[in-house]
Amino acid sequence: MTEPGPILITERPPTGTARPYTFPRVVRKTVAGGNVVAAHLPGHNLAVAVLLLDGGAGREPVGREGLSGVLAKALEEGTTRRDSTAYALALEGLGTELSIASDWDAFQVSVQVQVDRLPAAVELLAEAVRTPRLDPADITRVRDDEVTALRMYWANPGPRADAALRADLFGADQRPGRPMDGDPESVAAVTVDDVTSFHADWLTRLGTLLVVGDLDRIDLDELGTTAFAGASGAAEPPGPPLDVPVRTERRIILVDRPGSVQSTLRLGHPAPHRAHPDYVPMTLAATVLGGAFTSRLNHLIREVRGYTYGIRSEFGHSRRFGRFVVSSGVQTAVTAPALVDAIGEITRTRDAGVTESELAVARAWRAGQLSVELQTPRAIASALATLVVHDLPDDYHATLRERLLSTDEPTVSAAAATHLHPQGLTLVIEGDAALIRDELVASGLGELVDAAG
Amino acid sequence: MPETGYPWPIETTRLDNGLRVVVSEDRSAPVVAVNLWYDVGSRHEPDGQTGFAHLFEHLMFEGSVNVAKTEHMKLVQGSGGSLNATTNPDRTNYFETLPSEHLALALWLEADRMGGLVPALTQETLDNQREVVKNERRQRYENVPYGDAWLRLLPLLYPPGHPYHHATIGSMADLNAADLATFQAFHTTYYAPNNAVLTVAGDASADEVFALAERYFGKLVPQPDIPPAPDGRVVPATGSPVRETVTADVPAPRVYLTHRTHPFGGPGYDTLTVLATLLGSGRGSRLYQRLADGARLAQPDSVGAFGVDLAYAPAPLIVTATARDGVTAEQLEAGLVEVLDGLADGVTGAELDRAKALLTTGWWRQLASVDGRADILGRHATQLGDPARAADRLPGWLAVTAEQVTALAAELLRPEDRATLTYLPETQEEAS
Repeated sequence: MTEPGPILITERPPTGTARPYTFPRVVRKTVAGGNVVAAHLPGHNLAVAVLLLDGGAGREPVGREGLSGVLAKALEEGTTRRDSTAYALALEGLGTELSIASDWDAFQVSVQVQVDRLPAAVELLAEAVRTPRLDPADITRVRDDEVTALRMYWANPGPRADAALRADLFGADQRPGRPMDGDPESVAAVTVDDVTSFHADWLTRLGTLLVVGDLDRIDLDELGTTAFAGASGAAEPPGPPLDVPVRTERRIILVDRPGSVQSTLRLGHPAPHRAHPDYVPMTLAATVLGGAFTSRLNHLIREVRGYTYGIRSEFGHSRRFGRFVVSSGVQTAVTAPALVDAIGEITRTRDAGVTESELAVARAWRAGQLSVELQTPRAIASALATLVVHDLPDDYHATLRERLLSTDEPTVSAAAATHLHPQGLTLVIEGDAALIRDELVASGLGELVDAAG
Repeated sequence: MPETGYPWPIETTRLDNGLRVVVSEDRSAPVVAVNLWYDVGSRHEPDGQTGFAHLFEHLMFEGSVNVAKTEHMKLVQGSGGSLNATTNPDRTNYFETLPSEHLALALWLEADRMGGLVPALTQETLDNQREVVKNERRQRYENVPYGDAWLRLLPLLYPPGHPYHHATIGSMADLNAADLATFQAFHTTYYAPNNAVLTVAGDASADEVFALAERYFGKLVPQPDIPPAPDGRVVPATGSPVRETVTADVPAPRVYLTHRTHPFGGPGYDTLTVLATLLGSGRGSRLYQRLADGARLAQPDSVGAFGVDLAYAPAPLIVTATARDGVTAEQLEAGLVEVLDGLADGVTGAELDRAKALLTTGWWRQLASVDGRADILGRHATQLGDPARAADRLPGWLAVTAEQVTALAAELLRPEDRATLTYLPETQEEAS
């Protein structure tokens, strides 16, 4: 075949002139006592509206984990005005569905729809959130369906490992130490009263309406009036950050999954909450360690060793707590060597910090992702939710970009030294215990205990 | 109702070496999407080489003559970009979305691996990525309940020798046997400019992209004799249904009812898309209303129906549900069959309107990002010969009539043409 040399341009092209990055214009207003936060995205024919309520998993009582998820399902079982089928047909006839998401800090109900249909869709959204039928028989049925759905989910590798990690990090008697979405047992314990009370406590408050779309074609006052009708009650403070100690010694928790052809790894330790001043350098350190494709963990364990399809590390933060976690699935036969490699890279990053060239990739990637990811109404709505939940200013994303680009190597290396604790990791391994137990014990990476249950 | 499903400009050119270039300018964000569709997929794989097109996709990220190993990912992410690639039976595509000042970089990287991969390909790289792909197979297909459903459905739907008979991920035995020379030949044969469509959407003008494409791709040598995949357009009906029942470590019985329909791209497949949405999307769909709500045979989150958008043979319709506690696979299957067979008896205008409204939102959602647009344009250019055909998709769906839906059901969804796959839990104690 032809030699490729002359037909290809050998020299890497120079970077062109960057156009300035701008986050869409943010509009905040008070309507009918509630807050509307909107972003102008001209030219899009879809719009998104989100009713953001402080009724996330963090508000659930211990022993009732998954309660907000049951409530989410119950909201679609009819309203005081119409039954579930009529409700579904009305909403889907507009070309939309309710999207309901509950995380640690918020309960979000949203619609995405053609902009001229947004008022009708928000009316239906508010009807479900503010005036659900909540018939006891329906609640019991969707509760049972949720138990089944979680049992299906828990048959996959991962949920049991993550539950074991959470319990070990935060304590099984604490809400953060239990699975965010609950488990089959905790959801089975949810009662009709739990659901109606949780609704009364958290979903009848005003909350915040987020709107993203072509604001020249959207009447925010009309939408706000609809969303806040009949609602009352101010926001409740989230409570102070939790003080969670890091273990003094590493330990291994083995979750048995007989016949598993991979070992699912969840390695982690507690970390600061979202508002910690080191948020940006921590994010960059985790990107160098295990965020980008060329990160240390993925390079060594996938690209050099071939042990896995992928491995990543990140700091996850909510308003009151956070954790550092490494996630992967590795071939059963190389479970212990993969752990040794992973701990080695975490330790190296803590001890020696990051290099300027690695940091350059991490900075540019995280900053560039803001413009790459924040294109669509749905993505912008998610960014607005971040502003509201974490009480951040309108120029937060633009400022974040500048901070990502200007954080220097000593600052990131210092964050790695402060916030990575390889000696205090909990190493959860979900795999075929009969095949890996001896090897894990012999590895000397930490005391091995079997997961409860 | 929109006149067009694609209200952005589309400009195209073809370089002398056959590379088709498609540009769709939109200056609303300083972001540009670059997307290459290569007209090669697992349908081109001969016996004994299953999984090769996909394993090859991995090799494309491991360096080329002017790009050192690991540099491809580092340069794109280090420019703030996202990148990935996918392989399916029809085609292989590579895409990145970057801040637009890095457009030339993306084109240079794509040209270098189109024209200069083979000299950089080493045994060490192949061995490493073979292990990565085997772990991908374990993670996505072997280690999750029902994970191998797609691998089992394809041979039920398409006979041996048909280009869709085997799954893209391939077999472990074939992956283990993969040798370097085969991959070198694979690149030489298929990764040619005249076998690809380059699409750029977003913050760039057509003139700028055409000039850059000429600069970076213009001297690449076309491949005159690209062997076509086996022709799969006609799949002889056997006249009798097929079924497979698998007893496995799964938490509940699950049933898949599947049919061969029409190839993606024409009015027949547009009808199928509306039919599948009417049948299985949303709480107002027939399956949800009758099986999850009404008869309460199926778990609510488990019901669904969808067409798989394949273009070179009658594409599959897959209808599926998972049994609620205490419901047997037989009861669930009987319920699914009743709903599916009932389509031939007619559908209402309200059902049709609901499906079209959901499809309309879904279409605009996909086109809300420049990467979504680039992929749609690349697909229509590659599979239908003209990126502008993308504008026909939404009007095509909206033009579907109730009569067309029932006619399709009567013609193609007959019980004797059905392939049924059932999963049963190993222990039946679960159903208590």
